Amino acid sequence: MKDGAFGRLRASLSGAASIASGSSREASLVVACLVATTVFTLASPWFLTIENLATVAQASVDLLIVSLGMTIVLAVGGIDLTVGVTMAIASFFVGKALMIAVPAPLAAFLGPLVGLFLGAVTALTIVVGSVPPIVATLGLYGVFRATMYALLGGEWLSGLPNVFAPLVRPTVLGIPVVAFELAGLYALAWGVFRWTPLGVWWLAIGGNDEASQLAGVPVRRAKAIAYLASGLLAGISGAFYVAQYRNVEMTTGSTIALDAIVAAVLGGASVTGGRVSVLGTALGVILFRILQNGFVLIGVPSLWEQVVAGMLLLGVLAMENAARLRALAIGR
Amino acid sequence: MSAPTTRLLGLLALWLILLVVAAIALPDFFRASTVTSVLQFSTILALVTLGQSLVVLSGGGGIDLSVGGVVSICGLAMAAALQTGWGAAAGLAIAILLGAALGLVNGVLVTRLRIVPLIATLGSGYVYAGLAIALTGGAPIGGVGSWLTGLGRGLIGLVPVHFAFLVLPAYALAVAALRFTPAGPWIYALGGNETAARLTGIPTGRVRTLLYGASGLFAGMAAIVATAWFGSARPNIGQNLELESLTAALLGGVAITGGSGGVAPPLAAVLFLISLKTGIQLANLNTIWQVGTIGLLLVVSVLADRFIPGGRRR
Amino acid sequence: MFRKSLAFAAAALLLSTGAWSQEKPKVAFIPQLIGIPYFNAMEAGGKKAAQAFGVDFIYQGPVDTNPVDQLQILNNLVDQGVQAIAISVLDASSLEPVIASAKKKGVIIFTSDSDAPKSGRAVYVAQARDDQLGFTIIDELVKRVGDNAKIGIVSGEATATNLNTWIKFMQQRVKEKYPKVTLLEPKFAGGTAQRAAQLATELMTANPDLKGIIAVASTTCPGVAQAIETAGKINKVVGAGYCSPNTARAYLKSGAMGFTVLWDPAELGYLTVWAGKQLIDKKPFSAENNVPGIDHPISYDSATGVLLLGPPAVFTAQNVDKFNF
Repeated sequence: MKDGAFGRLRASLSGAASIASGSSREASLVVACLVATTVFTLASPWFLTIENLATVAQASVDLLIVSLGMTIVLAVGGIDLTVGVTMAIASFFVGKALMIAVPAPLAAFLGPLVGLFLGAVTALTIVVGSVPPIVATLGLYGVFRATMYALLGGEWLSGLPNVFAPLVRPTVLGIPVVAFELAGLYALAWGVFRWTPLGVWWLAIGGNDEASQLAGVPVRRAKAIAYLASGLLAGISGAFYVAQYRNVEMTTGSTIALDAIVAAVLGGASVTGGRVSVLGTALGVILFRILQNGFVLIGVPSLWEQVVAGMLLLGVLAMENAARLRALAIGR
Repeated sequence: MSAPTTRLLGLLALWLILLVVAAIALPDFFRASTVTSVLQFSTILALVTLGQSLVVLSGGGGIDLSVGGVVSICGLAMAAALQTGWGAAAGLAIAILLGAALGLVNGVLVTRLRIVPLIATLGSGYVYAGLAIALTGGAPIGGVGSWLTGLGRGLIGLVPVHFAFLVLPAYALAVAALRFTPAGPWIYALGGNETAARLTGIPTGRVRTLLYGASGLFAGMAAIVATAWFGSARPNIGQNLELESLTAALLGGVAITGGSGGVAPPLAAVLFLISLKTGIQLANLNTIWQVGTIGLLLVVSVLADRFIPGGRRR
Repeated sequence: MFRKSLAFAAAALLLSTGAWSQEKPKVAFIPQLIGIPYFNAMEAGGKKAAQAFGVDFIYQGPVDTNPVDQLQILNNLVDQGVQAIAISVLDASSLEPVIASAKKKGVIIFTSDSDAPKSGRAVYVAQARDDQLGFTIIDELVKRVGDNAKIGIVSGEATATNLNTWIKFMQQRVKEKYPKVTLLEPKFAGGTAQRAAQLATELMTANPDLKGIIAVASTTCPGVAQAIETAGKINKVVGAGYCSPNTARAYLKSGAMGFTVLWDPAELGYLTVWAGKQLIDKKPFSAENNVPGIDHPISYDSATGVLLLGPPAVFTAQNVDKFNF
């Protein structure tokens, strides 16, 4: 695509499908986080401490990484239900490598590598096989799960060597280094969406698949890259999982796919594609974890979490849509 | 050849393969009790799949991820009612009405509040399933009375009572409704092209809301079966039903984008899936194979549609 | 001479036809789910017993804790005519739909590892008494943290009957014997180490005077222990739980876990298959049973129908290396 065409495409998109169009949602999320923080601080003296906030940060790592991948996939109008089990398989390889004394950097690298491979399988099925994303990833989820079982053989990898500690444990002024690592990752993704042709293509495809094709966007390649990215990020999350929890079990990552969708959508992503907010996703994850954390601190039984998550999601979307529909009705 | 017929033939082919493999490797499979067992375990999934198929057929990204939660919570409501002494009719009515109501809530979320069905039902599913666990603390509610378990476990010859009296009539009614009432053309029109449908005067919002209500209603029926069968209601009895019913609907040829497919082939798909599971268990293979094989089948079935001449092209 | 060889040939023929129709009896065990080391160990024990006692052992379980899936497996095994089927029930009503028809077919259903006491099962092969499991973990923990400490509980699924039973006995023990101990309400982590770690950390934050955390489900063990390590609270908070030596070893050695309470699941699996064989052979259980292959007598309580493996075992940093499961 020539520069001129790219510029025109980008300009026309910035009105309809820009990543900043979720800015009011992002603002709402910030407000929500502040409100939650205030409530919890008042209700529990332990909430607003460096240690506790560090706990929230540490607990958010896996979901933050996977949700970023989900955001990318949602941008192109797709979905990826395999991310949880991809993360699990990646963590298996990382853990196994550590067990046979592979040097730590090499073992860590296996995570994203395995993730990339599995992402490629997904990408092939969706892009070359033309299987609708939800069907493809639902089916591959089953296939990957069986693979995970075949790999683990029903056992766990437990008490894995603590060699990744320097990557995840240290804190700078009380803030865990993972916070910076993830901030960097998110900044990178944000940059891709904002300033690279790839990002523009992703949003264009999500906004209107056929129109993008006619406009010359390499739709198949861009979609494939989106799913590769999702797999890659799931793999990275797998490596972090081993670093943080030193255990790989069959249920690793089992709930994370749907949680990631919730976080991304809460953050402003549109399930039909074309509109995402990288910052929003991060805020969504953080809000989610703050609520989980705060509930434990104030003694709410953990069984209510799922209800709260559902109501939060529905509440935010319902309110926003109700307001928008009313505005549309009035404005007519 | 219409798409549902092609899909039925495809499922028939799969069935034959299964039977041939079983004949060679698994003589145990060919017993009267296997038929009963398959039908017994198909009922709950079949009912939920009917609702899911209708919702997906109506297009617009239609999907119902809340069915598991609805089944769980309706089962609990019914068991609680029976335990506190309400009559049989009241207990059954509660399950069905609550299911329909919860389904209608989904309908409102989708049509009035314009929340994408995937997200709307994901959220409501979280709420329903979460309430089921939170309100009971994870403990089942028992003591439903032997009249109910008699119904739940009774057989007519080889056929379980609940299959004969719930599944078959429900499907027959659905097929008839789609064929002989305006509902059919409306649903397919809605799934094919929503704007055109609306312009033709079809009350798209109402139709869609009712379909979600129907999905909830069938989930309520499934809850009755589960409670009657076990003799108690477990807060997570609906676990996994949403993905399983979606798989069955898709295997049954319902297009994920809507507008194409029938409601009867998914029943064949359900029976096939349960038979496959049964076969794998009888062959003493690890049950994880079920998960892998079904996933693979799902992907392959769509690929087959694309690449086999005569299949549906998208 | 001729008659003798004829008689011999006839006897041989009879014996051989006898051998042909003599298939080994089958004993099956259905775990709550496959894919966790605990049940894998039970399977290994079951296989060993099958070899020792001349039965065929079948091991099949659902891929996640879904009672309908478990029931389907039970149903199929009954249909197949497996003579004795042991099941670790997900909940007490799991057996109801099948037990009557099983009895009609002459299939013996019994429970192991998790019971359904009122279902009419032939026997319950128990790893340890539920009350003893609850009491022991509290007693051992109080020994280490004192009798006016605050203790937290992280469990797995809220719907797991056996876990909830143990928690109930923990609460009872505290009420009766250690009234000054504060036992917090259990938190439920589901199945992942991540969630267990998060909950354990938050418990420690919300209760700075927390002295101990009990990991109830085996899936919560690594998470809880890692949380104590990560928080730097080794020796300040004592971790404990129903964890296998292999899972807990690293943490017992580092001090994050003070001890774990368990039994040998392989022995439990072994005992289960033995019990199945006894049931098939219609041999009644005596009050004390000597089981070949198990080094201590196994007691049986006819009033409750419970075959007891033995008292719970306590694993510490000192003895953990002697075990491999």
